Amino acid sequence: MIVNRVTLLGNKDHGKSTLIGSLLIQTKSVSQQRIDDAKKTSKKLGRKFEPGYILDSFQEEREREMTIDTTRAQVKYKNTGFEFIDVPGHEELMKNMLSGASYADFAILLVSAKPDEGITTQTKRHLFVAKMMGIGKLVVAVNKLDAVGYSQKRFEEIKMDIGSYLSRIGFADEEASFVPVSAYNGENLVRLSPNTAWYKGRSLLDELVTESRMGKARKQRKLLISLQGVFEGHANSVFGKVLSGKASRGDRVIALPGGKTSRILDIFVSGRRKRSFEEGDIVTLRLDGNIGREVKGTILADNRRSCSTGNRIRALLLATKQLKGDHSIKLNGVAVRCKKLNVKMEIDVATGESKRSSRIKPLSAGLVEIILDRDIATDAFSRTPEIGRFVLYTNKSFSGIGIITD
Amino acid sequence: MEERSIYIMREAKTNFKNVAALWSMGKDSTTMLALARKAFHGKVPFPVIHIDNGIDFPETYQFREELAKKWKLDLIVAKSEIKPEMSGFACCGANKTVALKKLMKEKGFDALIVSIRRDEHGIRAKERVFSPRDKNFKWNYKDQVAELWDDYASNSGADDHIRVHPLLDWNEVDIWNYIKREKVPMNPLYFSRNGYRYRSLGCTHCTVPIRSGAKNIDQIIGELEVTKIEERSGREQDKEKSYVMEKLRSLGYM
Repeated sequence: MIVNRVTLLGNKDHGKSTLIGSLLIQTKSVSQQRIDDAKKTSKKLGRKFEPGYILDSFQEEREREMTIDTTRAQVKYKNTGFEFIDVPGHEELMKNMLSGASYADFAILLVSAKPDEGITTQTKRHLFVAKMMGIGKLVVAVNKLDAVGYSQKRFEEIKMDIGSYLSRIGFADEEASFVPVSAYNGENLVRLSPNTAWYKGRSLLDELVTESRMGKARKQRKLLISLQGVFEGHANSVFGKVLSGKASRGDRVIALPGGKTSRILDIFVSGRRKRSFEEGDIVTLRLDGNIGREVKGTILADNRRSCSTGNRIRALLLATKQLKGDHSIKLNGVAVRCKKLNVKMEIDVATGESKRSSRIKPLSAGLVEIILDRDIATDAFSRTPEIGRFVLYTNKSFSGIGIITD
Repeated sequence: MEERSIYIMREAKTNFKNVAALWSMGKDSTTMLALARKAFHGKVPFPVIHIDNGIDFPETYQFREELAKKWKLDLIVAKSEIKPEMSGFACCGANKTVALKKLMKEKGFDALIVSIRRDEHGIRAKERVFSPRDKNFKWNYKDQVAELWDDYASNSGADDHIRVHPLLDWNEVDIWNYIKREKVPMNPLYFSRNGYRYRSLGCTHCTVPIRSGAKNIDQIIGELEVTKIEERSGREQDKEKSYVMEKLRSLGYM
């Protein structure tokens, strides 16, 4: 069974952990012991039962009523597997949020309908991240509707505002749907609630099931293999992952960025000898020559122009802190030092608008040009995500993420 | 899932100089060894460590000897002391962790493969695939490393070693389905005898069996599809008080 990974998004306290907790209880995906444990903790802290404690298992998380680090929980529903990724909503915890969200196929964005909560800059920042990371489908859960008398008007208002932001940052209408929910009461999560009789759509989980059945097709067929390493004592036997395309025994490949060519003499897929391999396979290849010293991060392709090689990249960057000091990026598993990081534009994540600027404020985005201290093989994120995205480190600590724009 | 675990183990082997794995002879760590054999063409290319407190089940010791021979494992047995007055937190903390620390230091391992899974425990669910431990084996769970897009941490220089978790995404039932598909040899204690079986295996002092009639893998899988009981309900260190697992893990426990 394929498991669809779904990340939660949204401002702190808008109900991400609570929603997953309620989903786990309603779909009977969690043991009674875990529920009882959460109940006991709620009582001990003098609070009403908090389903979010099923996810928030650190002592600090429960006492401070906030998610500190990302976690996951699985749900099986209508023969479909889902892995929900909980993430922290706090601005200071973007590193942990990004670590969780980067694995998602879909996203659920939570917005509280309460008048004093509503759409915030952090709500929009999370949507911006979803777009950057290429998350193709988004369900917006308008939460805490019980606190506003299940008002259809309030739901429509939020739907309109989020909708216009989504189109500004490039989401198509069909990529987002909206469901009114109460995460705490478990309304419209699995079954539809009589309290929102005006809502004619599907429950949150049914919305995800429908989406997961659409399937997704890879848009390209060019051969790209990302190499991990060499077998000890066998310099010509390399292993890696097939990012796209396929090839057979006897085919010629070129190692990029180096440029050495060789022929595939033997293929092993998950330990078994095969005549050919295809996208997604974990392969070991015996080649007729040595591809050079730097194997990790090398791309094997069938054509020199299948990806870009060089030391200059242009990217969309989201900064989590001040970008001052020595930078390096980690792309396709390899750390490379940056000689220069030139900011061209800054993008205000709250409005989606960009302006010429030479700096990016923390928690903002921008367009940059980076000069690396050596050549690497890359591709645009939209074509080959695996070699079109990177993590930025400033003075050796996490400072943001980037995607290559061309 | 198999592919991803293979990828993770190969990543560990490429990125670190001196990798070792923990083997408790339980279902998870034995499955991990089966995966390692696939990843490295029939041979487990790193030493496997059993932290032996001397009070594991006789079946477990026998299984260890048989499989170590059959799979030509480079087995290291690290003796840990057992003090009769201790149990649970004190026991796992003081004994197993201390023995592990001593061995890691002696052998200079820079990465340790451990077969924990997210679905076992809320605390383990918070783990990273590559998770650094500092000089005192502490897990800095309040400020974990970034881990995006299968891009894993390397040793920052301040770490003693990196814990590698290739089975983090697997569920209990995934493990059994894999054992069935790949015919992975298993410790007989997992199968029902006289109406009881072990669902999770530790030492003889702190592990209790569950009531079960599951005598073979299919019956175990059938049982897991419907059970509402926690996998590690028979394990002392998970219960005691809340946060015991958090404290144990932050001090270097598995």
